[in-house]
Amino acid sequence: MAKIGVFICHCGENIGAKIDCTRLTSAMNDHPGVSVSVEYKYFCSDPGQENVKKAIREHNLTGVVVAACSPRMHEATFRKACAEAGLNPYLCEIANIREQCSWVHTDQDMATEKAIEITRSLIEKVKLNNELQPIEVPVTKRALVIGGGIAGIQAALDIANAGQEVVLVEREPSLGGHMAQLSETFPTLDCSQCIMTPRMVEAAQHPKIRLLTYSEIEQVEGFIGNFKVRIRQKSRYVDMKACTGCGDCIQKCPQKKISDEFDCALGKRPAIYTPFAQAVPNIPVIDKEHCTFFKNGKCKVCQKVCETNAINFEMQDEFLDLEIGAIVVATGFQIQNTAMYGEYGYGKYADVITGLQFERLASASGPTAGKILRPSDGKEPQTIVFIQCAGSRDPSKGVKYCSKICCMYTAKHAMLYAHKVHGGKAHVFYMDIRAAGKGYDEFTRRAIEEDEAAYMRGRVSKVWLENGKLMVRGVDTLLGKPVEIAADMVVLATAITPQPDAREFAKVVGIGCDEYGFYNEAHLKLRPVETATAGIFLAGACQSPKDIPDSVSQASACASKVIGLFSRDQLEREPVIAINNESTCSGCWGCALACPYNAIEKKDILSRSGELIKQVAFINPGLCQGCGTCVTFCRSNSIDLAGFTEKQIFAEVMGL
Amino acid sequence: MSIQEQYRKKAAELLSSGEVKLVIGYGSGSTPDRRRALFARTADDAALFHVDAACDANLSGYLVNEGLLSDKKKIGIFLKPEGIRSVNILAAESQLDPDQIVILGFTEENGTVSGLQGTQASDFTSLMTALKENRTTSEKEQALVDKIEAMTPQERFAFWQAEFEKCIKCYACRQVCPMCYCKRCIVDNNQPQWVHTSSHTLGNFEWNLVRAFHLSGRCVECGGCDRACPVNIPLRLINRRMANEVLDAFDHFSGMNQNQEPVLASFKKDDPETFIL
Amino acid sequence: MSKPFEPKIVAFVCTYCTYAGADLAGTSRLKYPPNIRMVRLPCTGRISPMFILKALQKGADGVLVSGCHPGDCHFTHGNYHARRRWTVFRALLNFTGIPLERIRFSWISAAEGVKFAELISSLTEDIRKLGPFEQYKAMIHETEAPVSL
Repeated sequence: MAKIGVFICHCGENIGAKIDCTRLTSAMNDHPGVSVSVEYKYFCSDPGQENVKKAIREHNLTGVVVAACSPRMHEATFRKACAEAGLNPYLCEIANIREQCSWVHTDQDMATEKAIEITRSLIEKVKLNNELQPIEVPVTKRALVIGGGIAGIQAALDIANAGQEVVLVEREPSLGGHMAQLSETFPTLDCSQCIMTPRMVEAAQHPKIRLLTYSEIEQVEGFIGNFKVRIRQKSRYVDMKACTGCGDCIQKCPQKKISDEFDCALGKRPAIYTPFAQAVPNIPVIDKEHCTFFKNGKCKVCQKVCETNAINFEMQDEFLDLEIGAIVVATGFQIQNTAMYGEYGYGKYADVITGLQFERLASASGPTAGKILRPSDGKEPQTIVFIQCAGSRDPSKGVKYCSKICCMYTAKHAMLYAHKVHGGKAHVFYMDIRAAGKGYDEFTRRAIEEDEAAYMRGRVSKVWLENGKLMVRGVDTLLGKPVEIAADMVVLATAITPQPDAREFAKVVGIGCDEYGFYNEAHLKLRPVETATAGIFLAGACQSPKDIPDSVSQASACASKVIGLFSRDQLEREPVIAINNESTCSGCWGCALACPYNAIEKKDILSRSGELIKQVAFINPGLCQGCGTCVTFCRSNSIDLAGFTEKQIFAEVMGL
Repeated sequence: MSIQEQYRKKAAELLSSGEVKLVIGYGSGSTPDRRRALFARTADDAALFHVDAACDANLSGYLVNEGLLSDKKKIGIFLKPEGIRSVNILAAESQLDPDQIVILGFTEENGTVSGLQGTQASDFTSLMTALKENRTTSEKEQALVDKIEAMTPQERFAFWQAEFEKCIKCYACRQVCPMCYCKRCIVDNNQPQWVHTSSHTLGNFEWNLVRAFHLSGRCVECGGCDRACPVNIPLRLINRRMANEVLDAFDHFSGMNQNQEPVLASFKKDDPETFIL
Repeated sequence: MSKPFEPKIVAFVCTYCTYAGADLAGTSRLKYPPNIRMVRLPCTGRISPMFILKALQKGADGVLVSGCHPGDCHFTHGNYHARRRWTVFRALLNFTGIPLERIRFSWISAAEGVKFAELISSLTEDIRKLGPFEQYKAMIHETEAPVSL
């Protein structure tokens, strides 16, 4: 038999002046199942809460309804009071008679009538409330950071410096990502490698960081605090323990004409190689596809010259299974293939290059040792045309969004060019100059005013070769005139796009993508580093195009989330989660498809002899966030939501 | 050879070769113009099959009988296009493995029966596309739809109230429907009792609304409910109206293929929402 | 003079947006008619069409279903699922003769206290004009059996 206590708060005058609380109190006293109904000036005050606790003990209450302000204000307060009096806190409901009654209605009679109905319907609900326990989930204090670019390195270092274990996984042979390819960085023009490589070394040597390069994530299972991750360590064919990084093998490799990915195809590399001189770890890999031995079965020059016998052609991929508590996804971006702009001649003319290729030309460690030289003939270009938004903000051919960093790096390129080639002329075609950021607008102004880059607001329609010059035809929309420039080089500010395998990888990890393949955050404004999957966080350009400061900030934010998570041994969560009745479930999996959190798994129901009888939905309590979308989908009414059960809602509506 | 002879032969071959353990088809019924389900386990049984214009039932519902497919053996089944659509939905909803179903497809138009090419549900993709493109309604049914759509809400309510008043809650509509495979129907859930079990109009109204909602985007308009209803409530009419709705609003034609996502468990960010304030 | 007809309106709302919007209307001391009764749910994804039918059974003359704007769902896409269900269920109600003026759907964010108050005011006025939902009430009267739990 229900014994419900009803506590009607005057909230001073806020409720008391508009609602006839005495009438409300006596009406509730007459309601079936109500043991006690009392009114008080301020139930949220200490003596008020004491009254509630006293009543719970005296009347041995089985449920409590506090008719007061919004549950968003004081639900936690009264739940706590109930718990202190020995009543399960989830047996407490709040009837909102202030925000949604006394404050918004003028007619006292009707407001009182409404308050009576609101309170009554919640009494009916609370009669059916179940005792719930917060869900406790153990936490494995080991973070996985996927991606060894600046975002991943920053997140790994921050987490490790807080004393927590980190596994840092990078699929390329070296840490560094795109930032390692850059020459100087805006807006300070400090050398990218000078600020990047110390971080790479620090990450590699950190006692709390386990670095796995040339490795990929195969599988992610589990949930917050309890992920199980399978990692494939691809075979380098070089024993990492034996290799000293002397580089003899690289020198002697007869195959030297492989297009260098790190140099964006502007340079060549051998079949056994490190991506760049400062690679971390400084241990080469054999490119199986191009290696003469793997192709023809003969060569092994590298093995012969290696003094430590580190080369092993028999090496196989290895798999590592790790228990992980939190995951930071920092998988970065790629630049869009600009071949769709046939009119710009990328791929047709050697001297039409991308911004990233220009970075390699300008980089002291690049194929030209930092000299700006044309790929076609190695001559110094006297005129360069930079074309911004070569892909970005172009819904018809490229992508709809702004790639965010191109305005800044183009300004930087114009500047670097002016510094390196005296007398060289830089022309920039732009749509808008988007230079929001600390020191950013000043930077672009400097490119224009001090380094005399000629900015033209307009698009380029065509690039063609004429008498050894790249003819660029565009329009200066501010002058309203067509423009033709004879250039020696054209640099395209190509769009930033998600990694080619971003969508498939999202499925492996269990997170969502937007229409482009950038990973979805839980809330664009308020939860920008979390994903919808609890325990998985996003850093850097895998979420959206970002510059270095933004990537680093987001990485540190991720780290703080992970450290916060790891500050506890157990996770406690609201027990509002969906539960499936396995006996009535038909296994149609509509719930699993509808679930925003991938919380619903298939569970085998076996007979005593171990034969499969049927498969039913199992809702993982660690993943379920309690939205109830599956409950509504379930045609057989097999799923229910704790705290908002079908019975409770039915009773609440019937109590109105 | 008549289509009936061809299909009898085909069924007999399937059974004698051991490719299927059972063929579900149509046998003679209680009167010459009626057919009832026939379950053939031997090649001899196959000689009893009928394939003619009287074969109107959608037999796919028999496939989800508990345990029938759990031995992983194949089953042959006579299906019209709507039955093939049902198999696709049942496959999409994990109720059966379409590889276990050998389809003896046929179609009927103006009393003439003709065979359909293909044996696997996936063989009929172009047929499904054609069905989607050319949705047809009988003149009689269309006339009734037009009449109902032209009514005021009050008249419509009265029309359906009069129809639902007749309902005796026999649940024949549910029993005959291949999509009503739930282990427990919502109407049999009494904690809480969402739908009144007594056959008062209110409970009848609720029951028929809930069923139509659960069939939205799943009904293949085979008309089984219409034929099963002992009090002749035009049930298919409601289901057809809902099928039109999901087609218009979400471009969803139920049972197109075995990978189709359920229309009410999926969404597009730009789904239409003209009515939401 | 007889008392004017006071409609009964039941609202099913998500706690993160519309319920918070209603709270904001309260803290802003906006005024709206007291005919509305709110049932708070975690998400619009949790709002079953059965709730609407039960509200009508309890004598509601109008029903409001409201949640977060598309893209704003706390649970990322509960409201997208809800939108599809509403589209389908609304068509069903329409076809079976429930006047659509009585069943309303809206997106109201936690910041839209004003929108909430205005919507409730206009909704109440509209339903008042329509009068009691007599046809449904007649059906309720016919069912003598008490509501069982």
